[in-house]
Amino acid sequence: MTFYEKKVNQVKNSCYSNDKQIQTVIETRHFIDTNFDQDLNLDFLSHIKFTSKYHLQRLFKRYYGLTPRQYLIDKRIEKSKENLKNGMTVTETCFAVGFESLGSFSKLFKTKTGKSPSKFQKEQVSRSNLHTDF
Amino acid sequence: MKVTLISIPVRDQEKALKFYTEKLGFLIKKDAPLEGGNRWITLVSPEWQDGPELLLEPAPNHFEPCKVFQDALMEAGFPYTQFDVDSVEEEYERLTKLDVDFSVKPTEMGTVKFAVFNDTCGNNIQIVETL
Repeated sequence: MTFYEKKVNQVKNSCYSNDKQIQTVIETRHFIDTNFDQDLNLDFLSHIKFTSKYHLQRLFKRYYGLTPRQYLIDKRIEKSKENLKNGMTVTETCFAVGFESLGSFSKLFKTKTGKSPSKFQKEQVSRSNLHTDF
Repeated sequence: MKVTLISIPVRDQEKALKFYTEKLGFLIKKDAPLEGGNRWITLVSPEWQDGPELLLEPAPNHFEPCKVFQDALMEAGFPYTQFDVDSVEEEYERLTKLDVDFSVKPTEMGTVKFAVFNDTCGNNIQIVETL
């Protein structure tokens, strides 16, 4: 066994020994992955996992390093980039990934990616045209 | 400031270029000549071509402490860096068939599954799947 494997085992035993907690957060993450376009909130997530919302939030943060809310936002932004690349309009994308306001979607998208959704889409289109032209 | 580049030390740039493109599947983004036969070679993920670039840096050949550090990591089995994958099992199967040597087989730890392989250029590399 290498020194690295010994260290990994130490971390596993000290930080990841509670299988029930780990299963809870993994299932929560998978639920977000498949329902990111729905109106998700901590109350709802904790209800389906039969746990308190603050407990679930703490567990998720502990094992994934970010809160369920932050994870959901990242997931929606990732999906919205895919939709924009595939030619969906900005408005369609906004609602398809679960945002309820075009203004807050555009603002969040720019904060996370550095570009507005429409600029991002234009760049994707011009990039694919470049590949065709040359 | 933006994070756009991570570098990985390699002993042989041409060998590394073949391994990282032909076996791992990265794409060449930049390849420019530098002095002394060295090159500025960066790679990107096929599915994220505007993402961060991976620089194949021949530092161990020109700066002894880098070589010492790289050797120490290799001997201890520590990965120099890690890449995200959708499925560690599938990558393990695919790379094993391409004769890539794994020091750690697919292993679950908490909310991740990982494995470690030898990049044949002086580094252990870890692949990680978030569960």
